[in-house]
Order: sequence, then structure tokens, then C-alpha cells
Amino acid sequence: MTAGPPPLPATPPPRTMSHAFFRSIFRVLPLLLVLSPVNSSSCTMGNKTTEIRVKYENILSHDIEELVNMSAEYRDRCCKNKRHEHNKVFFCNDTQEIGSLQSMACNMLRFFNKQKINKEFRRKAALVSCGTLQVLQCKCERHKKEKVCTQVNAPNNEDTETVEQPKKKCNQEFCELKENISSLRSCWNKFEKIISR
Amino acid sequence: MAVPGASLVPILLLGLGTCLAASPSPKGVECILFNEEYMTCTWGSGQTLTANYSLYYWYENKLPVVECQQYLWDRSVRIGCRFEQSEIIQFQAFYVRVNASCNGQTLEIPSNRMELQNLVKPEAPVNLTIHNMSGNQLQLTWSSPYPKEQCLEHVVKYKSNKDTSWTNQEVKGVIFSFPSVDYEKYYTFYVRSKINNYCGNTQLWSEWSVPVFWGNNSTSKGSSGPERPRSPRRPRSVLTVSPRLVAGVAEEQLQWFWIHTVLIPIASCLLLLVLVVLLVRMERVWVIIMPRIPNPSKNFDDLFITHNGDFQVRWLPWLTTPLSWWQLPTPLTPLCPSRNGSESLKMLWRVSSPTTVKASAT
Repeated sequence: MTAGPPPLPATPPPRTMSHAFFRSIFRVLPLLLVLSPVNSSSCTMGNKTTEIRVKYENILSHDIEELVNMSAEYRDRCCKNKRHEHNKVFFCNDTQEIGSLQSMACNMLRFFNKQKINKEFRRKAALVSCGTLQVLQCKCERHKKEKVCTQVNAPNNEDTETVEQPKKKCNQEFCELKENISSLRSCWNKFEKIISR
Repeated sequence: MAVPGASLVPILLLGLGTCLAASPSPKGVECILFNEEYMTCTWGSGQTLTANYSLYYWYENKLPVVECQQYLWDRSVRIGCRFEQSEIIQFQAFYVRVNASCNGQTLEIPSNRMELQNLVKPEAPVNLTIHNMSGNQLQLTWSSPYPKEQCLEHVVKYKSNKDTSWTNQEVKGVIFSFPSVDYEKYYTFYVRSKINNYCGNTQLWSEWSVPVFWGNNSTSKGSSGPERPRSPRRPRSVLTVSPRLVAGVAEEQLQWFWIHTVLIPIASCLLLLVLVVLLVRMERVWVIIMPRIPNPSKNFDDLFITHNGDFQVRWLPWLTTPLSWWQLPTPLTPLCPSRNGSESLKMLWRVSSPTTVKASAT
């Protein structure tokens, strides 16, 4: 009488299931670390508040002031009903001012290629965004946005072209950009007030 | 300038009844954050408002809507709301709504979106102090009750007693250097503050500070006593600030200045003019000052014409008292001889010119 192979169990043993479980976790975990949102700010100037203040007061604040004045020249009567009150991008969160500034600056960069907005206006907005990112030593999530800064900071070869007339028609992107500018300025005011004695 | 947050009121008078129609609507809600210690939002005065008003407020990300805890009253009418420091959140959108109710009917008066960091009005600077520096230079320093001095910008207003207008100078820190001071002048300095563009976006200046003075305060030019020798290195100066030194001292000096330089010269000129007019008008006084020269030529017109001005008049000897020329008889009338037989007294009239007559006795 010969002995046959033992019958295969109907379900895999628990030890195998746990191995599969942990394997799946360990595979996903590195992926999660790579793909995790930037809640922890990727800015490297966080502790150098004195240096930030000097650069902001001496350089960046003047560009922001010019941008705000430029924004005020455009009629915004059509934008009053289009306020994005629940857009988290425009919040300057307590204790997370640098992260909020980074978020606002990166968001503002996407308006650089919006053809419906006046060219000089969006160029100035991009300049302020790039300046903010440079002062705070921040990067944006989408690396291609840094190409905009390279393009903005490059010598302007289009100065000889005729000045484009400002777009009089109000549009969604224009209103959103104005709101972004206002939020960025307020957040800088808040940050400056915190780091000032 | 319209304060951010004040809105035009959409007045809906139709169907609201006579109560609200008779009560003027508020012009809008005006909020001011005083030195970041407390805030007031007002919508009018008791003189113009008669309805019952209620204020509700909320922040953009923080509900619910809250009613005002401390109303401001004027003549039994609510005209505003006071917010304590714990109720104030800056850098978040702030909204208010004022309800005006009367006889059961309510009118809502909304306001615009406000950012309270742009409505800050700091307190006036204090402790103004002047320091004497080398090279005829002054240094003015002060301090501010506002907690964050680096968020302030200042304006210094100054002038001397010889200036007619004020000079304004913007200053970022709490030190103002006056490069070249004149020790003969008397200077007055004021300072006020505002949140700078780094920390906010506001046009609300503080009140002017208590003034500080410096310099030589001699107001009279003709002093009775000898002047003290002036030492340019040790001027008389007021270095400290007293709360009792108010702007009235500067105004009194200005009054003396106008009296001495304008009023007194004008009064003197007018008095002189009056005297001259009186002098000309009063003939008796004029005659004494400017006596008329006698001119008897007119009484001898016929003799001048007949004899071509060549004639003599003889004075008769028995006349002891000299007569004036107009008392003489006619030249051809004979008179009695003299008593004492002395030589006749002759008065010769010689005509030197048609207008003058000379008389000589021999």
C-alpha cells in the first residue's frame, strides 16, 4: 500500500497571507512617500527670517506693490460675484505662512500662459511668483513651472513690440488672478508681521 | 477717503412703512482697529438715526454668525459696536451685517468684505526727545505704543518761528536727524505714525504727538537790558517734553509776531497821515509854520505903471511912532514940520522889484 501526497489545504495558511500583506504594504509605502502631497513645505529658508525680511522689504515688496497697483487699474466689477471663497489656495494658514505663500506663488504661475489676460499683467504676476519662490527657496510640485521663472527672468526680447492693449473683457481667469494677487500680498503682510519685532 | 468696508446702502423704502422711511439710512459701516487693542464699527450718529439697529459679524472660515456683545449708544440709539481684542482676527475676511428694525419690519444693511489688518490706526508716538549732536545737528527720537515698531512708518512735521509753513519728512525708523539747525530760531516738532506697506495696506494715520520744542525763544527785539553774550555752543534749549506744553504756546508767539511786524507799523503810518491832514487843514497852525511873505506891490500898482517903478516915498518928521506902510498918507499930501527940529525922519521907499518893497530910515 503506497502513501499519496498530502491533500492541498483549501485555503493558504495564515503565515503566507501575512507575508503577502506586508509585501504589499512595503511596496506601496515607498510609492506613498514619493507621491505624498507637500504638506511639509519644501522650502529651505524657513528659519532664516532675517534674510527673508531683508529681501522682502528691499526688493520683493516693491514688485508686489506695483503688481497690486496694476491689478487695481483693471475693472473688477464683474469679479465681485465670482469670488472663490472656498478655494484653499487663497488661505494663509496660521503657523504655515511659508507653505501658504509657496502654494499661492505656484498657483499664480499657471496664469503666465493665459492668453486672455493682458501680457504685461501676467508677466508681472509671474515675476512676483518667482520672486516669492526665490526668497523662500521653495519649489513647486510640478517642476515644469520653474521653466516659467527661467523664461520670465530672461532678458525681454519683446520690448520692441507694440504694447498690448489691456483686455477689457472680464473673464474667470482674470478674476482668479486678481484674487490670487490679493491673497499673496495679505499673506506676505501676515508673515512680515510675525517675523518683525 | 472711503474706509475699506463702507458700502453704499441699498435703500429699499418701498413697503417698509413710515418708520424706516422717516429714519435716514446709515451711510455704511466704518470699522477702525485702534492700536490693535480694540475695534469699533459705527454706522451713524444719534442725530440722524432713529430705528433699532443690530450688528452681526462673522469671519470667512469661522462660523457661526455672532451678534455684537457691546453696542455703542448715542441718544438712546445704537450707533456702533465695540469689539474687544479677543474678538478680533486679522488676515481673515471679516463681514458685518446691520439690521435696522422698526415696527416689526427689518432692513438688512450688508457691508463689504474687510481685512482688519488694513484698518489699524496706531496710537500717537510718545516720549519725543531732542539730542544735540555735533556739527549743528539735532536728533529727534520717540517711541510708539504700537507693539510692532518695524511695521510702522512715521512723518515728522516741523517749523521754526521764522517759517510760515510746516515741513513734512517721512521717516522709517524712530530717529530723525535735522542736519543744520539755526541757534537763533525756535523749532517745533510733531510726529505721527501709520502701518507701513510691509505689514498692511492702510491709509489711517495716528493723531499727531505732543509737540517738542527747541531753540532760542526770545520774542522781543528791543529788550531793555543788555543782551547776553551768545555762545553758539551752549544755546538755551528745551530738551524735555512736558505734557503741559501745548500748541497754544506756539500760537501765542505767532500772535506777537503779527502784532510787531504788521499791526504796529500800519497803525503808525495811519497816525502820521492823520497828523499831516490836520496840519494842512488847520490854517492857523499852517500860517505859524509857513508865514506868508508881505507883498505890498499891489497897493502901488498905479505908481509902478506911471513912473515905471522909479519913485520915492518920504516919511514926515513929527511922526514919533513909526507907522506901517499901509497907514501912510498919499505921497503928495504935505504935513506939518517936526517939533524938535531934528532932522526929518525920512522913510524912503525904494522899489527894487515889482513885487517887493524895502523901507529904510535915515
